[in-house]
Amino acid sequence: MKNIQVFVVWALVGIPLAFGIFQTLAKVTALFG
Amino acid sequence: MSWLDRDRTIAPPGFNRWLIPPAALAVHLCIGQAYATSVYKTALVAHFDASLVQIGVIFSIAIVMLGLSAAVMGTWVDTHGPRKAMFFAALFWSGGFLVGSLGIFSNQLWLVYLGYGFIGGIGLGIGYISPVSTLIKWFPDRPGLATGMAIMGFGGGALIASPVSTALLAFYDPNSGVAGWVPSGDSVGKLFLTLAVIYLAYMMFGAFTIKVPAPGWTPAGFDPSKVRAKALVTNNHVSAKNAIRTRQFWSLWVVLFCNVTAGIGILEQAAPMIQDFFRQNDGNSLVSATVAGGFVGLLSLANMGGRFIWSATSDKTGRKNIYMVYLGVGTVLYLLLALFGPSTTTLYVILAFVIISFYGGGFATAPAYLRDLFGTFQVGAIHGRLLTAWSAAGIAGPLIVNSFLDAQGAPGELTAAAYQPALLTMVGLLIVGFIANLFVRPVHSDHHEPDRALVGAVAKEARA
Repeated sequence: MKNIQVFVVWALVGIPLAFGIFQTLAKVTALFG
Repeated sequence: MSWLDRDRTIAPPGFNRWLIPPAALAVHLCIGQAYATSVYKTALVAHFDASLVQIGVIFSIAIVMLGLSAAVMGTWVDTHGPRKAMFFAALFWSGGFLVGSLGIFSNQLWLVYLGYGFIGGIGLGIGYISPVSTLIKWFPDRPGLATGMAIMGFGGGALIASPVSTALLAFYDPNSGVAGWVPSGDSVGKLFLTLAVIYLAYMMFGAFTIKVPAPGWTPAGFDPSKVRAKALVTNNHVSAKNAIRTRQFWSLWVVLFCNVTAGIGILEQAAPMIQDFFRQNDGNSLVSATVAGGFVGLLSLANMGGRFIWSATSDKTGRKNIYMVYLGVGTVLYLLLALFGPSTTTLYVILAFVIISFYGGGFATAPAYLRDLFGTFQVGAIHGRLLTAWSAAGIAGPLIVNSFLDAQGAPGELTAAAYQPALLTMVGLLIVGFIANLFVRPVHSDHHEPDRALVGAVAKEARA
């Protein structure tokens, strides 16, 4: 149960952060295009 | 409001400490929006019929208030605990957006200064320092890793806020499909309202997740005697009042000021700088605006990643050594950038990437360095006072770069040579920082808190 709580709490911050990183990486590809 | 007090947030036995970093991240990811203001800067210029400088003042006020509120409120944050601090940070940060939106809808720029700049800036300062001392107490074995995870959020916040804000502006503005579109003031006002609601909810999630460890708690398998064995890691405690009277505090202030000033010099000018470095004789640059945008994105990743990676590394290398790297290797890299940066874009990008990762690392490693030197007693308050170096660097960095560039020519006509005086000035600053770091020695026992005073302070905390 405790592990599920840790997973959920990390997901709540990890998903938006991953979204931001992927959005930025999409822009970065222009640098190497 | 006693339900927010420190003694109501003590973790029960068996509490998983890995719930604390995401709680801290929730706050830092929100306040990191401060680095994404460029998304609506042009829209505000058009809406208020103001200059870029007048709009830029909004961000400047926010950063100055960040440093001031962190310095003034640091002791309050340490005394009342992270939940109350995060709660009020959420109210200030969200309230800043609400008042700012009122200013936009009523066309009153001063209200945006008051809202986003002044009120929001207080939220920035309190929010920035609120989880720091708690993280250090939960992770005495890996303080660099813990604070790196949280402060990484401040770099990551802009990565989220930037695309989300762009999408929301397009959603709120019916003219978003038109060529050369600049978002309307109305859409920026609605964006502010939306962000106020989202950030309030998200920061409250952080506030109600965070807990402080019970007195005397240590992680399983952690041996404090190993920490004591390191020369620069104290087992004593220094109050915030006494800390600012020490040479160590001001040495660190200079270190942070120099490191941040040098980093801001590149960050603030990132997009035009890479284009200017590769400008041809015909006035055109080899680097397009799109590619320059990608470069800015890459630096954002370096800033964020450096905060986590370098700060976590400092747990192994020691804090003084890692700052030697930030400042010493940083000096060499800046010099290479100034002298050989224009030769190839690959070299330029690699050098700038590492330099900005050091900039982020400098921010994230500072709380752990303070903990090593001054103990955990009022490390949040001391960190707050140290952040005035950031405010000062936020003014000095752009001022140095822009002053040199203004003297060299007009924007759009500059070349790599125009940047050399500014970059060499940054080299000098990094050398000053390197020397200041050399002066960091263990704090003299005269500044240590007598145990009785410490116990009294802790008891007062518990009664508050």
